[in-house]
Amino acid sequence: MTFQSALGLSVPLAVSIAALGSGLALGKMGAAAMEAIGRQPEAAGKIQLAMIIGFAFIEALTIYALVTMFVLQGRIG
Amino acid sequence: MFLLNVVVAVENAGAGPEGPPELPNIITLIYDKFSSMPFAQFLHHWENVFFSLLIAVFLGVLSYFASRKPKLVPGGLQNFLEMVVEGISNFVCGILGEEGKNYVPFLGTLFIYIFCMNMFGLIPGMKSPSSSINTTAALAITVFIYVQYTGIRKLGILGYIDHFAGRPRDLAGILLVPLMFPLHIITELAKPLSLSVRLFGNVLGEDVLIAVFVGLGISIVGFLKLPLGIPLHFPFVFLAILTGAIQALVFSVLSTIYFLMMFPHEEH
Repeated sequence: MTFQSALGLSVPLAVSIAALGSGLALGKMGAAAMEAIGRQPEAAGKIQLAMIIGFAFIEALTIYALVTMFVLQGRIG
Repeated sequence: MFLLNVVVAVENAGAGPEGPPELPNIITLIYDKFSSMPFAQFLHHWENVFFSLLIAVFLGVLSYFASRKPKLVPGGLQNFLEMVVEGISNFVCGILGEEGKNYVPFLGTLFIYIFCMNMFGLIPGMKSPSSSINTTAALAITVFIYVQYTGIRKLGILGYIDHFAGRPRDLAGILLVPLMFPLHIITELAKPLSLSVRLFGNVLGEDVLIAVFVGLGISIVGFLKLPLGIPLHFPFVFLAILTGAIQALVFSVLSTIYFLMMFPHEEH
């Protein structure tokens, strides 16, 4: 296996694994936030704000993998 | 240092022929037509700076015309902008408290500017300057420096060092100082990195997705030899509007929270 083919196989795989983990975490967080809003609808604004900030932190992990992909993309060639 | 390495690596990746696909904009069109002329090369080199300055000029002219003849009972543009400013002010003061009024101009400008930069890529012939890490890193470093300045001014030099040492008040706290000090410094340095890479990655990912689907929409009807394609990227434009707005919100909310973390704590 050459360097290029190893990179071509592993870089998309890295993004997809990161996306899998983020997807699971986002689902769990969204479910918990929706449940909290359902229990206490008057606090919906605060819960939504905390939820969006948490989403941003989780999503950033996938974005790091995506940025790595853009950096290495030129080397796959 | 790591940030600088990423900047250089991304610039090299973008400059190569194998860089991520992007839609043509007015500057790449000018460059294709007059690629030997120095002014076209200059524009192509400073592409992102040109577009971010264009947005800044646009926002400046808009607010000049909105506030040129302020009326007591606002209508039209003035009404809309007052609504936006009031919404941002309430939002920031809701997080930071009464002191937050001093930070509304900075944080509100960040939100409006980043929102406009993200939306600019959806206008045909334009490009999102925030899809380059240089733009987002500049914004994140500005936030970083302002947050540290606020920390030193609010807490004093000793209070600032105390904050970094984890506020030791008893023996256990003092024993933990060698652990807390590097931890706090790394946390502070990771903030601008994550802020800039998050915004840049989201906007670039969205733009590349749209560019790939535009290319696909043209190439699947290529056998007809038409100058048109199928607008396959259409659903992703709405996704891009949503992502752009949320990322602008997240950038300014996280900056607000970094300010909040630097404020003196209530319990002391």
